[in-house]
Amino acid sequence: MAGVSLKNVVKRFGTMEVVHGASLDVEDGELIVFVGPSGCGKSTLLRMIAGLEDISGGEIAIGGMAVNDVEPADRGIAMVFQTYALYPHMTVERNLSFGLRMNGNDKADTARRVAKAAQILRIEELLDRRPRQLSGGQRQRVAIGRAIVREPQVFLFDEPLSNLDAELRVQMRVEIARLHAELGVTMIYVTHDQVEAMTLADRIVVLRAGRIEQIGKPLDLYDDPANQFVAGFVGSPKMNFMAAEVASLEDGCVTVALVNHGGARLTVPVENGFAVGDRITVGLRPEHFRRQGEGDCDLSVKVDMAEHLGSTSYIYANTASSEQLVIEREESRGEIGMERLTVSIPAAKAYLFDASGARLR
Amino acid sequence: MRMRTRAAYGFLAPYLLIFTTFWVWPIVFSFYLSFLATRTQPWRFNPAATWGRLVIDPAFLNALKNTLVILVIQVPVMIALATVLAVLLNSQLLRARGIMRFAFFAPVVVGEAAYAAVFRLMFNADFGIINKIITGLGLPPVAWFASPTAAMALIMMAVTWRWVGYNAIIILSGLQAIPQDVYEAATLDRVSKPRQFFFITLPLLRPIILFCVVLSIIGTMQLFAEPFLITNRGGPGQATETLGLFLYRQGFTVLNFGYASAVAYTIAALAILISLANLWLGRSAK
Repeated sequence: MAGVSLKNVVKRFGTMEVVHGASLDVEDGELIVFVGPSGCGKSTLLRMIAGLEDISGGEIAIGGMAVNDVEPADRGIAMVFQTYALYPHMTVERNLSFGLRMNGNDKADTARRVAKAAQILRIEELLDRRPRQLSGGQRQRVAIGRAIVREPQVFLFDEPLSNLDAELRVQMRVEIARLHAELGVTMIYVTHDQVEAMTLADRIVVLRAGRIEQIGKPLDLYDDPANQFVAGFVGSPKMNFMAAEVASLEDGCVTVALVNHGGARLTVPVENGFAVGDRITVGLRPEHFRRQGEGDCDLSVKVDMAEHLGSTSYIYANTASSEQLVIEREESRGEIGMERLTVSIPAAKAYLFDASGARLR
Repeated sequence: MRMRTRAAYGFLAPYLLIFTTFWVWPIVFSFYLSFLATRTQPWRFNPAATWGRLVIDPAFLNALKNTLVILVIQVPVMIALATVLAVLLNSQLLRARGIMRFAFFAPVVVGEAAYAAVFRLMFNADFGIINKIITGLGLPPVAWFASPTAAMALIMMAVTWRWVGYNAIIILSGLQAIPQDVYEAATLDRVSKPRQFFFITLPLLRPIILFCVVLSIIGTMQLFAEPFLITNRGGPGQATETLGLFLYRQGFTVLNFGYASAVAYTIAALAILISLANLWLGRSAK
């Protein structure tokens, strides 16, 4: 087992820089998830760790040893690909053992490793089948099995569940979590699905446009996002953002006017960093809206649509200025069919961001 | 018959008429002809003069031997070259890939008479560039058109030049269908590039290579233009006479239509049999 360390890692394709100096320390045995929207550089970063992409600058170390110039096969890693990348003409058993056989590994040891991987992933009865005879979930297990037989120091997963249907994805997520607990090995997992990130990760690395925006434990990122991007990306449904203007400052409090809600005033306790007239953004998670009069600032909104899921409802609403809001309600049966709704913002739950997206509170 | 069906057949009728007259009828009639002695008047039923003659006619057996020699040597060499060429044309390191692909495909669209004339000039024993190069290397000149072995080699080179690019383009399409991440997985498995070629690329190309082999077998069984135009009607002597050329001579020089029909059916049957044998040998394990 080994940790992974990235120091100012840069990736350029020609003159275009796509990863701008990423630094990160992955602890030994940790499951870390790279998450971010498409094109943020998360897969490129993973492929650089694997050695499938050259490193344009900086240093990557695995188990304390710099691997910039080490061949992919010698880095002690194994990778699970989004498209499984199984050898289509080989049986499952051959797929699992191919690398070991090609490297002259002892036959008995190869058989032992294949049997162990098959047992861990419960694919013993599939060993004689070919990939085309397997379902998506079974193929993914085989792909993971191929990684296991290498007995790597670090597992790399590149969006391994994105080709599976929703139900299977949840099932495989649990499998990967179980695998991590069972093997206790370092895992780096790439996904664009923040739910996957939240449920699997020991720590999450949020990336945007080739830069690391924040690193932290899932709930730390949820409760304490570093900026507006992370606040919006982590959490489902995402955080609501309301345009506001600083109206006044007094006694360690700032009063803001919500410009798309008829100038409704919200007073938030905050120390500094503001000037009257500053354009800012107020963030509030859907579950933090209160009923009329229960918070510090009431808003009347027009209901567009409501999803009633039984225990929870999501109400999709907007203002006259078309500012979209999502409101989560634990009990909303009385509100079914309502066209307008008044909700309230509790000041203690509100986040404030400046015009650049940096968090002020 | 419903009106719509009648109308559909009405529109199809011109094509069906032409198809029947120029395709179906000649195929059926030539089968009937293959049992007739057509060197006598009137033609009479005598399979011994056609089908019977096939097994004892030294000229037919010579043409069959020549065709099979070309088949056994030229087809595997050409398919191997086409596979290597396809891999090179697929390489990321290759510049101007589009132009290169067209360049290798181009011989197929060159007229047979034109390319035959160029080959005759290039391989001319006295002033051809090939012999100039050979003698320049200090080797004795080759009598390309006078030596049976050299003439056969010349036919094989010409056919290979003409069709290798065509087959390479077909194999290239198969290569491009292999996902890149399969090779990346093999790289992580510490499988070297040559081993990736033999253990991943070739097995995955097997169906498309088999397809090319079958196409080439059918083409070789019908080989006519090269021995007719380059080695001057199967020369020297009958050293490069192929089944296609033999059929032509029987049908249109000697006007022995019955025997020529039996030869035509034999060529078709052999092409089918050899292709089926290939498909059977190359079938993938279930």
